Amino acid sequence: MSKEQWKSIGLNAVLLVFSAVTILPFLWMLASSFKTNAEISALAQRFLPRNPTWQNYENALNKMSFLRYFVNSLSYALVISLITIYTSAIAGFVLCKYRFRGRELVFGMILSTMMVPGVVTIIPRYSMMQALGWLNQFQALIVPSLFTSFGIFMMRQSCAAVPDEVLEAARIDGANEFYIFHRIVFPMLRNAVASMAIFQFLWAWEDYLWPYLMIRSESKQLLSIALNMFSGRFSTDYAGLFAATSIAIIPVVLCYLVFQKRFIEGIASSAVKG
Amino acid sequence: MNLQIRSKSRDPLRSRSEIILRNTVVASLILFFLAFYFIPIGIAFWGSFHLWNPLKGQFRYTGLKNWHNVLNNQLFWYSLKNTGLFSVIAVLARIVIGLLLASALFSRLVKAKSFFRTLYYLPTITPMVAVAFVWKNMYDPQFGLLNQLLGTKINWLFDGRYAMLAILLLTIWKDFGYAVVILLGGMYSLPMDCFEAAEIDGADACQRFFGITLPLLRPTVLFIVITSFISYFQTYIPVMVLTQGGPGTKTQLATYLIFDQAFSKYNFGYASAMSFILFLLIALLTALSFRASGRKEQ
Repeated sequence: MSKEQWKSIGLNAVLLVFSAVTILPFLWMLASSFKTNAEISALAQRFLPRNPTWQNYENALNKMSFLRYFVNSLSYALVISLITIYTSAIAGFVLCKYRFRGRELVFGMILSTMMVPGVVTIIPRYSMMQALGWLNQFQALIVPSLFTSFGIFMMRQSCAAVPDEVLEAARIDGANEFYIFHRIVFPMLRNAVASMAIFQFLWAWEDYLWPYLMIRSESKQLLSIALNMFSGRFSTDYAGLFAATSIAIIPVVLCYLVFQKRFIEGIASSAVKG
Repeated sequence: MNLQIRSKSRDPLRSRSEIILRNTVVASLILFFLAFYFIPIGIAFWGSFHLWNPLKGQFRYTGLKNWHNVLNNQLFWYSLKNTGLFSVIAVLARIVIGLLLASALFSRLVKAKSFFRTLYYLPTITPMVAVAFVWKNMYDPQFGLLNQLLGTKINWLFDGRYAMLAILLLTIWKDFGYAVVILLGGMYSLPMDCFEAAEIDGADACQRFFGITLPLLRPTVLFIVITSFISYFQTYIPVMVLTQGGPGTKTQLATYLIFDQAFSKYNFGYASAMSFILFLLIALLTALSFRASGRKEQ
């Protein structure tokens, strides 16, 4: 074999080892979620379940009411994504296409908040929500997320690619600015909208600390928090918890596999530009 | 439209709808970022000089007492040291593994590029609480996958020698794919003729990597280093799910300690003082990374 071939084998071997490391925890979780508790804690371990059972998923969805948490998380993530996409797009548009005094100051102020660690603002925010009487209410989750600096930054970049001539032509035709943004510019931002939809959805889906602090009643709880709550309460029901964990992970993985090209493009472009 | 207004405004064609849209958006932006970032930072700073307990409704000025207590708190310094060590190792691992795999994927000897890339990025997109939970079970001394694979009998989460390593392994596993994707993107944006010229001149793969790829990739590497440091300094969920700071205080990280003070003990003033020190450290570190990179470029 030539030197080239050996090199190719070596490189592929390294890549395959890391692939195995990446995928094994997921496969183990999936396999365990179809086992019985007795089989999971048995001395003689095997990777695949002996008699695969759906029982754990039934338990997780009904007994642990994970169906409700799933729906809660899904609606939370959808609402947050829709709102932030719209607010980021309109803010990005204004900060990109309009010239006015203080524009760079406002934009700089927004960018600077990206550097602020959440741990500094979370305590005062908690007190603010308490003072407003918003604890345990949905708006406590929504209002502090109405705008995102990352989204505004990203949308401003995309708006820069929209030619000014298009806006001018619409203005000459008598279109007002609301029409121009909603009917002309927004459709042209579809690539940025798609990547932002993915990121915002994922972030909201995995959000933990803030919803944990805000939401107290069990019926309003989100998936991640429920998962951590139940890992204490049902600590011996390993199989049920594996099923619950799979319920939190599998939808995200499926969504990722369907849209994976967009994901990768989105993440790569945000870094190179940033 | 009268002439006077026209001469005042810099853009004579500015329409009413533009002014309404602009003012609404800018006003909401200023209001939002003041209310949820700048005012909270001010409150946190002001609160750090107070005995502040929201459950008891206390907000009493105590001067420098919180700061004094924080700076004399052995556990806080220990948690900062832990956080620093944890972050340095996690960032290094992320960069090294990221560079290794990205250069392997960059090579034309590898065919299934997008397959590998898609796979490596998978842990990054999955929710932290859920994967931390899977890893907690993988570390189980009785049925955990890790001991079975390694043929060891380590009690990962309850043995002080291994607990921090356990948190690191989870963190590295979850995050290396992000570095691979970003670095690979960076490599594709480099000028190809450099590589071709070097290859013609007989530079081997190693020389090409350290002589061309790495220096040209510095901005991308710096981007990952800074963003990783900022996020690793705030590591919370892995500690909460895996060890709760234990065994003993072995895996106390600064953010975990702060949240514990804030939301278990409701010592808001004390926690605010700690969070401010962490904030300053992050800002300092960011500034240093920027300066370090700037100097090398000259």
